[in-house]
Amino acid sequence: MADLILSTATDAGPDTGFGQFLGAAAKIFAVLSGITLIGMALMSLTSIVGRTFFDAPVMGDYELVQIACAAAVSLALPYTQWVRGHVIVDFFTAKANNTVVLTLDAVAAALLCVFALTFSWRMWVNMVDLMDGWDASLMLNIPTWWGYAPMVPSFLLLGLIAGYHCIKDIRSLRS
Amino acid sequence: MMGLTGIELGGVMFAFMLVLLALRVHIGVAMLLTGSVGYTMVAGLDPLLNYFKGAAYARYSIYDLSVVPLFLLMGQFATHGGLSKALFKAGNAMIGHWRGGMAMGAVTACAGFGAICGSSLATAATMGQVALPELKKHGYSERLSAAAIAAGGTLGILIPPSVPLVIYAIITEQNIAKMFLAAFIPGLLAAVGYMVVISIIARISPEDAPRGIKFTWMQRLQALSETWPVILIFIVVIGGIYGGIFTPTEAASIGTLATAIVAWTSGGLKGRGFLDCLYGAAGATGMIFLILLGADILNVFLALTQVHTELASWVVGLNWPPLGVLMVIIIIYLVLGCIMDSLSMILLTVPIFFPIIMGIDLWGLGADDKAIWFGILALMVVEVGLITPPVGMNVFIISAMVKHVPMKEIFKTILPFLASDFVRIALLVFFPSIALVVFQIF
Repeated sequence: MADLILSTATDAGPDTGFGQFLGAAAKIFAVLSGITLIGMALMSLTSIVGRTFFDAPVMGDYELVQIACAAAVSLALPYTQWVRGHVIVDFFTAKANNTVVLTLDAVAAALLCVFALTFSWRMWVNMVDLMDGWDASLMLNIPTWWGYAPMVPSFLLLGLIAGYHCIKDIRSLRS
Repeated sequence: MMGLTGIELGGVMFAFMLVLLALRVHIGVAMLLTGSVGYTMVAGLDPLLNYFKGAAYARYSIYDLSVVPLFLLMGQFATHGGLSKALFKAGNAMIGHWRGGMAMGAVTACAGFGAICGSSLATAATMGQVALPELKKHGYSERLSAAAIAAGGTLGILIPPSVPLVIYAIITEQNIAKMFLAAFIPGLLAAVGYMVVISIIARISPEDAPRGIKFTWMQRLQALSETWPVILIFIVVIGGIYGGIFTPTEAASIGTLATAIVAWTSGGLKGRGFLDCLYGAAGATGMIFLILLGADILNVFLALTQVHTELASWVVGLNWPPLGVLMVIIIIYLVLGCIMDSLSMILLTVPIFFPIIMGIDLWGLGADDKAIWFGILALMVVEVGLITPPVGMNVFIISAMVKHVPMKEIFKTILPFLASDFVRIALLVFFPSIALVVFQIF
């Protein structure tokens, strides 16, 4: 349904220190994501106006949209996890007790953490490889690694937030 | 692999994924884990880690996919821009004096909002806030109002622009503009169907739905004129895409900027408003694209096992009547729809069902027509899940706004609306031209 569904994960108390830092970072990334989208929209508008009235479209607008889209999308990922907005099926655990739910949520967060960090690491490796080469886009000659530059920190932050949520869930299990 | 054939391994991993889902693992992560484990079993860990290097960028930098975050941002601006209020006022001015007319007005407003917002929950939520208090003031029973808006909210996805339709078009390599056009008449039919239901309820139990005041034509024109941004945006976005003047991304860009201006001039972006729009769009974007990444890895694994093609040729080889196969698929969707969200369902099932549908003969449709028709049909069927128990998200949202009406009561009142959904699905199954006629004519 393509909507933000706040998962029913029990909120395990207020965030302190590092948690607040992660939350602030996720929000900054989310704002950057939105600004990238608005920039992309303005660029498309310029291209339409340019080619309709002045016979001068924005060169390589296709490439710019691709890079901007990848950036906007990955910058949004950490925020979704910060508000625990990734979709889950809670049908089978709707009546389970709090301990079970918290344990399962901690495991789910740990899995996301592992995957996000793995992606971040692999993309970092790829980015460094690409920086050494001369791979660039066709029209504007944009180095390919630029596309990876916003994705590596986004997945890193996603992983850190998921890890933080995992630890938070475990802590509130103990208390 | 351990003596398993591709199709067996695919089946085992699919079951593994369903268990993960039941255990509250995020849908995207469950797909990632299943795909990764399966990929490692077939090809080894190093190829997987190698694949991870470029997979996310390749998936996220698809030009056509950029309409998805843009539509989501556009929906946020539309919500903050007070357009839902103008739409409800206009609907009410036009038909509010009919029996059940104000509830019908709310449904038409939902349809109008669906034309600038690709999301059902957002449509239900924003329309609920605007229409529920008004309906109550005019003596409408809360259970009918709640049911009408929860059902009307599903028009948000059905009437283009629609995020799941974009995703379907991309994974099945169909033309987005054609998909949007094809959704148009089924979307209108849905709105009309809900209005018929309201009118019948209003006749059977008039105390649920009294007549509203009759407006003069002057007042009507006045109310209609306030909805101009919606009409303009819809024409630009849909007309521009179909006329080939803009790419879908460009049309979505214009729509986003136009709704932003509307939201800004109406004061909806004041204070935290602008940030809330960006946060809302980011939250929904992240949710969708994690699932997309998961589906990507899962499908790479499934493609390695050839489970799609084997399953498709097996089903086709059964020589069942094609309609029987289609019915089974629809029933699977209805059952899954009770517990899963529509986008995950589309991503999960289309790679499997699509080759089957393409392999059987349905009404002698050509490949492209069949693909588009099935997309609209699938979308319609998965949408039913939004208003069925136990996890009818639209009903949850509305029910939170009418706290003293028990959820059971709303689900009961929504039954006739569900019936109209089923009638419409049956119509579309037997008369594919309902969807296809729009772009066949032009």
